[in-house]
Amino acid sequence: MDLRFSAADENFRAEVAAWLAANLTGEFAELVGAGGPGREHEHLEARKAWERRLGRDGWIGLGWPESDGGRGLSWERQVIFYEEYARAGAPGRVGHIGEQLLGPTLLMFGTPEQRRRFLPGILDGTQLWCQGYSEPGAGSDLAAVSTRAALRDGEWHIDGQKVWTSLATEADWCFVLARTDPASSRHRGLSYLLVPMDQPGVDVRPIVQLTGTAEFNEVFLDDARAAEADVVGAPGEGWKVAMGTLAVERGVSTFGQQMGFAREFEQVLATARATGAADDPATADRLLDSWMELQVLRHTAVMTLGAPAGTTPGAEANVAKLMWAPWHQRLGELAVDVLGAAGTVAAGPGEDELTPAQQLFLFTRSDTVYGGSNEVQRNVIAQRMLGLPRGPV
Amino acid sequence: MDVTFSDEQRDLQRMVRDLLSRESGEGPGSAIWKRLSGELGLTGITVPEEHGGAGASSVELGIVLAELGRALTPVPFLQTAVAATVLAESAGALAAEVLPAIAAGELVAGLATPGPESGHPRGTRTDQVTDGGLALDGTLENVVDGPYLDLLLTPAVVAGETVLTAVRTAAAGVASTTLPTLDRSRPQARIVLDGAPAVVLGDAATVSRAIDLLLTAVAVESAGAARYCLDTTVEYLGTRVQFGRPIGTFQALQHRCADLAVLVEAASSTAWYAMWAVGADPGTGGGSAEVSAPLAKAYCADAFRKVAGETIQLHGGIGFTWEHPAHRYFKRATCTDLLFGGRAWVRALVARRAGLA
Repeated sequence: MDLRFSAADENFRAEVAAWLAANLTGEFAELVGAGGPGREHEHLEARKAWERRLGRDGWIGLGWPESDGGRGLSWERQVIFYEEYARAGAPGRVGHIGEQLLGPTLLMFGTPEQRRRFLPGILDGTQLWCQGYSEPGAGSDLAAVSTRAALRDGEWHIDGQKVWTSLATEADWCFVLARTDPASSRHRGLSYLLVPMDQPGVDVRPIVQLTGTAEFNEVFLDDARAAEADVVGAPGEGWKVAMGTLAVERGVSTFGQQMGFAREFEQVLATARATGAADDPATADRLLDSWMELQVLRHTAVMTLGAPAGTTPGAEANVAKLMWAPWHQRLGELAVDVLGAAGTVAAGPGEDELTPAQQLFLFTRSDTVYGGSNEVQRNVIAQRMLGLPRGPV
Repeated sequence: MDVTFSDEQRDLQRMVRDLLSRESGEGPGSAIWKRLSGELGLTGITVPEEHGGAGASSVELGIVLAELGRALTPVPFLQTAVAATVLAESAGALAAEVLPAIAAGELVAGLATPGPESGHPRGTRTDQVTDGGLALDGTLENVVDGPYLDLLLTPAVVAGETVLTAVRTAAAGVASTTLPTLDRSRPQARIVLDGAPAVVLGDAATVSRAIDLLLTAVAVESAGAARYCLDTTVEYLGTRVQFGRPIGTFQALQHRCADLAVLVEAASSTAWYAMWAVGADPGTGGGSAEVSAPLAKAYCADAFRKVAGETIQLHGGIGFTWEHPAHRYFKRATCTDLLFGGRAWVRALVARRAGLA
């Protein structure tokens, strides 16, 4: 057991930090702190240019194999990159869905031809992806997908509706889970299709959230088309492909997320001290709990995500989510509480004109819902990690 | 970075777990104590080889502690092994004298419960005792494993300075009264020092270091015990049948177990981080040994209390019986949280060291 980064890894940290310092300047200086959960609508054009800058200098696909254009870097170096990225306040990525979901899926299940066609666009930051999983009738119960796709004249014809699709307005492509066997039910008969967004059959409509902003979208598929070859895995094996990606997702980016959390905590603490709220023993206790639990988040991420694959029960990402989402929500509550009555005054008259504290407070209500609700995480932990028997659903 | 145990460490874990599942006993007169100490030399696991120890790292110590937490074996191992580590680091004449006996299991040592300086004994330098020695006056409450201790390490205030001292409990001027305890697997004593002879092991930094080692050991033990509680609860839910099916199929119970699993993973990770840190000195900040030690104790004791309480609830009526072990873990968890400085003091220590207070 050695929970320290090696000297060589620390050199890599310095390299990352230097690159960020040199590049978050000029046209990109305004991006510091922009984007990410709750602020996904900000500075989109500049963030797309930033994605290309990252790609140009080799900062995308750090953990991918070199044979597929990645850099084959260790787990530790990926952690360091995410930490430094967040420490520098670099903007929320617009390419992360491609890099962290579609890319690994193609690396696992894609044909050599698919990998050659799609991975370079992710790696150079020029092609953005969005995820077409959830539907109005298929949220926690993803296997209830009812979007249909049929192969006619060498093309997939797709009809249905996807929802909660982040960055759908910006994405070039969407990976869509669709039912290709009309006689099938549940997780059988689904296929994983790669669908271009720029076509008449695809209509994107933003969803205004309780924050007044719109980061998620509905995607309506009305005879949308995908090429016959653009199915990942065999037709009918879409469930296996979609779940396979989730299973290998070790959550390395969680370390960057924690660095962001630490910045948010420092802001809340500074406010609490400025308003005098930190002198109230009950509030001081909540602040201490928050800080302690943030350290616990990191220790848990190190010990569980750092374990070699296959040596753990395989629910590390679920454990991490069930820890950070409620933590972040409580931080949001603290953020407005330490302001007292002043926390009730918005930044302006518009529905989306919130103060940063209000933004954090309101957006974190979604943390415990998106990416698998707390309740779904608990099901996975109970059944997959603890081995408790499945009951009647 | 390497978060795993080595093969040797896994062997140690297996060996201790096997031993504790086969044998039990109480106190330093028991056969299990002789096995753990003299035979296997685990009381001196961190003691350098020249003093008769195994010269292993804090991680090996943690492995033994986590297993003792699982089994709740009522022997003064934690106190003795931590005191041995403190003595070995002090590298004084006393260490050379007592460490071989500690490693052999012939001498039980331990630390007074940490707490505010106002509770420390007062020391007077005196020539009547030993050369350069001290006479201590004061009352130490809730000394864990107090009835067993041959050698007591306690902070004291001498001429306005905080120092760590060692007192032989057989000396004149030391009166130990055994206290009946809620947690019957961990006895306590009130120790009254009235001109008790003592030697100085180190300064205020040594006191802090001893507290960090103690709190970290307690955290790892608690994490081990909490994991056992979860394991045994999950096993029970898979076998107990009501309404025609194992109660572990009910989502209401699955979700409670999932929350406990998160607590156990978090506590375990935090405890192991701290245990590694006290042996590896990872520098300053939130990951430093001085912050992670009290943080781990505060977090793990609290987590253990929650898990042990749920263990009773999820076992239903049988969990409320004397015969079922759940109450022993519940009592150990509660006492662990209230002892070793207690919740408020330990949390305040975290806040102060982290710059939050």
